[in-house]
Amino acid sequence: MRSMMRCIVALSLLLSATVTFGKENCTVCHKKVVKGVHRGLPCLSCHLDETRTLANPASRESRAAGCVGCHKGYAALFDQPMGSRRGELDFVAASYGRVDPGFFGKNCSACHLKGCTDCHAGKGHDIARPRDRDCFACHKGYFVGTDYYGMAPREDSMRYQRGEVAYGEAYLKMTPDLHAEAGLACGDCHSMKSLAAGGKAAKVCTDCHEPDRRVPEHRIAAHLEKMECYACHSAWAAQEYGTFFLRFTNSPSQELYALRRDQGAEEYLKSAYLRRQDAPPLGLNGRGRVSPVRPEFIAYFTDVRNDRAVWDENRLLAARWKAFFPHTVRRGTVMCEGCHDNPRRFLLERKEDRIYQLQAEGMTLPSFWDASGQQVTNGAFYPARRYRDMGGRTGDYRRAYLEKWQNLVNHVETSSAP
Amino acid sequence: MLLSLLPLLAFAGCGGNSPAASGCLSCHAGIEHVSATHRDCVACHGGDGKARVKEAAHRGMYGRNNPSAPEHWDKSCGSCHLYQLDRVKSNLMYTTTGMIRNIRLTWEGPEEGDYASRAGEAYDPAGRALQLKPVAELDHLSGELYRKFCSQCHVARESGEVYGESHASGCAACHFPYNDRATYRGDDATVRGRRPYAATHAMERLPGNEVCSRCHNRSGRITYSYQGLNDGNNGLVPTRFGLPGPVLASGNRNLTRIAPDVHFAAGMDCIDCHTSRDLMGDGYAYRNMYLQTEIGCEDCHGGARPPRYREISGESDEALRESQGYRMQMRPGMKMILTAKGRPYSNVFYRDGAVWVLGKRSGRLFKSRVITGTPEHTVAGHGRMECYSCHSRTVVQCYGCHTSYDKTRSAMDYVKGVPTPGRFSEKEDYRTLYPFPLALNQRGRISTVTPGCQTFVSVVEPDGSVSKNEYVARFKGKQQLRFAPFYSHNTGKKAIGCGECHGNPAFLGFGQHVVSGRNIEGTMICEQSADKPLDGFLTLQEGRVRAYSAITREHSRPLNGTEVRRALAVNLCLVCHDKAADPIYRKELDHRALNDALHRRLIPAP
Repeated sequence: MRSMMRCIVALSLLLSATVTFGKENCTVCHKKVVKGVHRGLPCLSCHLDETRTLANPASRESRAAGCVGCHKGYAALFDQPMGSRRGELDFVAASYGRVDPGFFGKNCSACHLKGCTDCHAGKGHDIARPRDRDCFACHKGYFVGTDYYGMAPREDSMRYQRGEVAYGEAYLKMTPDLHAEAGLACGDCHSMKSLAAGGKAAKVCTDCHEPDRRVPEHRIAAHLEKMECYACHSAWAAQEYGTFFLRFTNSPSQELYALRRDQGAEEYLKSAYLRRQDAPPLGLNGRGRVSPVRPEFIAYFTDVRNDRAVWDENRLLAARWKAFFPHTVRRGTVMCEGCHDNPRRFLLERKEDRIYQLQAEGMTLPSFWDASGQQVTNGAFYPARRYRDMGGRTGDYRRAYLEKWQNLVNHVETSSAP
Repeated sequence: MLLSLLPLLAFAGCGGNSPAASGCLSCHAGIEHVSATHRDCVACHGGDGKARVKEAAHRGMYGRNNPSAPEHWDKSCGSCHLYQLDRVKSNLMYTTTGMIRNIRLTWEGPEEGDYASRAGEAYDPAGRALQLKPVAELDHLSGELYRKFCSQCHVARESGEVYGESHASGCAACHFPYNDRATYRGDDATVRGRRPYAATHAMERLPGNEVCSRCHNRSGRITYSYQGLNDGNNGLVPTRFGLPGPVLASGNRNLTRIAPDVHFAAGMDCIDCHTSRDLMGDGYAYRNMYLQTEIGCEDCHGGARPPRYREISGESDEALRESQGYRMQMRPGMKMILTAKGRPYSNVFYRDGAVWVLGKRSGRLFKSRVITGTPEHTVAGHGRMECYSCHSRTVVQCYGCHTSYDKTRSAMDYVKGVPTPGRFSEKEDYRTLYPFPLALNQRGRISTVTPGCQTFVSVVEPDGSVSKNEYVARFKGKQQLRFAPFYSHNTGKKAIGCGECHGNPAFLGFGQHVVSGRNIEGTMICEQSADKPLDGFLTLQEGRVRAYSAITREHSRPLNGTEVRRALAVNLCLVCHDKAADPIYRKELDHRALNDALHRRLIPAP
């Protein structure tokens, strides 16, 4: 079926090209050879017009005029999050943009969809399907992507910038996603069609997987009804608590900060108060399901001029979280207590359990793991009442809990290997 | 006989009332008195107090500014305080034989002999004479590491150049504290603003926390944790006045605030718990600090038995002498609480049915709560736990210490006093405070442990070739990383909950993890091996507990399969019996009870 489709497409392309066949003399000057699936196509099938040639047929400016003649509808990608960057723009407008209107251009422009060839091979005349590395040009570090291959962002301090570097990021080695181990690439779930339609992926977990009823957790109706699979099956997630951007004007003191210098404009430095790489907190996502959430971002700002802080130092501009899918799926999960007896994971940390004393530093929030003063951009924090209900020790809970722990405990051998 | 000795004592300055050498004060006007009993310049400093010219007056002085330095202390402090000096000479803070030994053990150094900061003779606890060889002669990478990294922090040598960490050598290291910039801020105009000098010429009879903090601020960083300071990720934020902040420490580190130790919050100082024998030694040369330290939580709070005490009966009792400098003096007949080694504290006593701790500097009285016999503290099996396994709020953990030794560059050898080829540099992977792993310590007790150390060594030879690349040293017979038993000094009144510890395998040493069937797999993993956790030392593979790191110290080890199973099996009871006071925890758990009629009725099988 697919090959037949290909034939039809190729034939129609040939037909549309025959009109101009024989007349084309571009390659007399332009020594270009088109490779890959578009090999053999006349130049003007993409560059359109001999007199008013489309220099970059795949560019964002032209809305990929040279591509969409055949690949109809895909110009919509430029209107979707990857192209519009609506989410990032809105966040910056509500946070750092308030103190520096040029912030986005200075610090966020590295990841910007310029055209189809950003992902479909960079050289233009060797167009191909995107490989994972094309995704990781942007989807790396704190932005979900390379975590799929077990790479977590390291601390911003140069003391921690070490080890292997991939896609420009020194990374901390973590367990890779099960699907990556099995050989699945980004595109296996994230199709062009889904991206153009504004969806995140073409497939969801249950398209391929049926929850195995032998697993005690899968027999609990509320788990299956109210939770995303990846709320439990995300083994870890990069979490950045307290993102600091410091702006320096006429301030040699910038040199005192032994931090990475490659995360924004020259006048800026970025740092973080705390990073964690463990199982992320849980909240509710846009469709009301329990999902991992993490700060994106708890944004602080200090403006240093002439080596002094002006205005309020360490000013909290936004405290926003996002429901997200960490792409660190493992077969295993945490045990029951990892959620049911862990208020910190739901941003309900008890006051007496507070470790970090943020207010003693003038950082405004009582705790990162306290929802007050914070919000979820695309969902909500887990309601305290629901957490209390969840902690109730019903008979069903006890039964499932016992089964779960017996499954583990009874299999731990009493001899141990050295 | 006694009469004939008196003038001699006065001459030596011990009389306490001899007039200050007027000659000295003609230049050093305004200088602070050391103390009411130390008023004679020459008795401590040597030199000629009657001379009128600086050169003549200073001739024969015991050092430029510090007569208590080890080069001079026999003639100065030691001429009166011989008992204290003899103790300090065997004290680990001076000899650092423990540190040097541990580095040798963990860096594949030579096993023979005892190396110390300086050559000397000392006696081990069994009374055997030890010849301490100078560390300058330890011709090995471990010796280099000590001389170029670690030697800055000990009483044998001055450290004058490190922000917040400078201190004098000898007795003055603690008793004449430096400030952060090692600058004299007293009233002697000839010295004011000069460095390195003590902040003032007035003696600190009872050193404060900041004195301890000069050294005990790296690795375990116990003075920071105690005071509620976290040396976290070197992120240098939040800023303070636009500069790296909020509190700066040496080595481009920054400190943020965390919940402090409950004792600190109550107002207690380091020296309120730690006795002078902990700090200055008791005359014996111990192999490691954990053997020199004589105190334990149970001394004041009780354990299986209540605290012990002994009455002051003689007028030569140490508690009487030592407490002379306190805001309240001990008196004959007082019941002094005993340390773990059975020797009396000089500031902790039993009165009216309670244990009281006197703040040596503050004069405040702190009532110690005795826990002996309370239900939470009589859980069967918990008898072999260190108190701080449950009562630590946080435990400082630094994972992955990547140390490079580059012979193409040179660095200061602080022991030899000259730069020599070979420079160390460090990079790191990850730090965290909570949760924290537990393992068996040298007493066979369950204790908090922390990486000690996860060293990956790289060596660059003089020709630029790499002879070692991220090398893991052999320890206890095989190449492995190490964790060390460790008390973080960030104690909380509230203990870690039962479910937190039993229900989260991270506490047993599995690191952050997921559980899958009969497997517990770490999710933060070692660069060199995908199936080993970086932030732990155990894995469970198809039901089999495997240990990947050693626990340093004799008799120490990770929990074994039986212990892991027993700890996890408590959860089978905890889900219903969730209070430590529950009577089932008074004896060993019988899991067969789950199958009895009562349990089957309450929790029917699905």
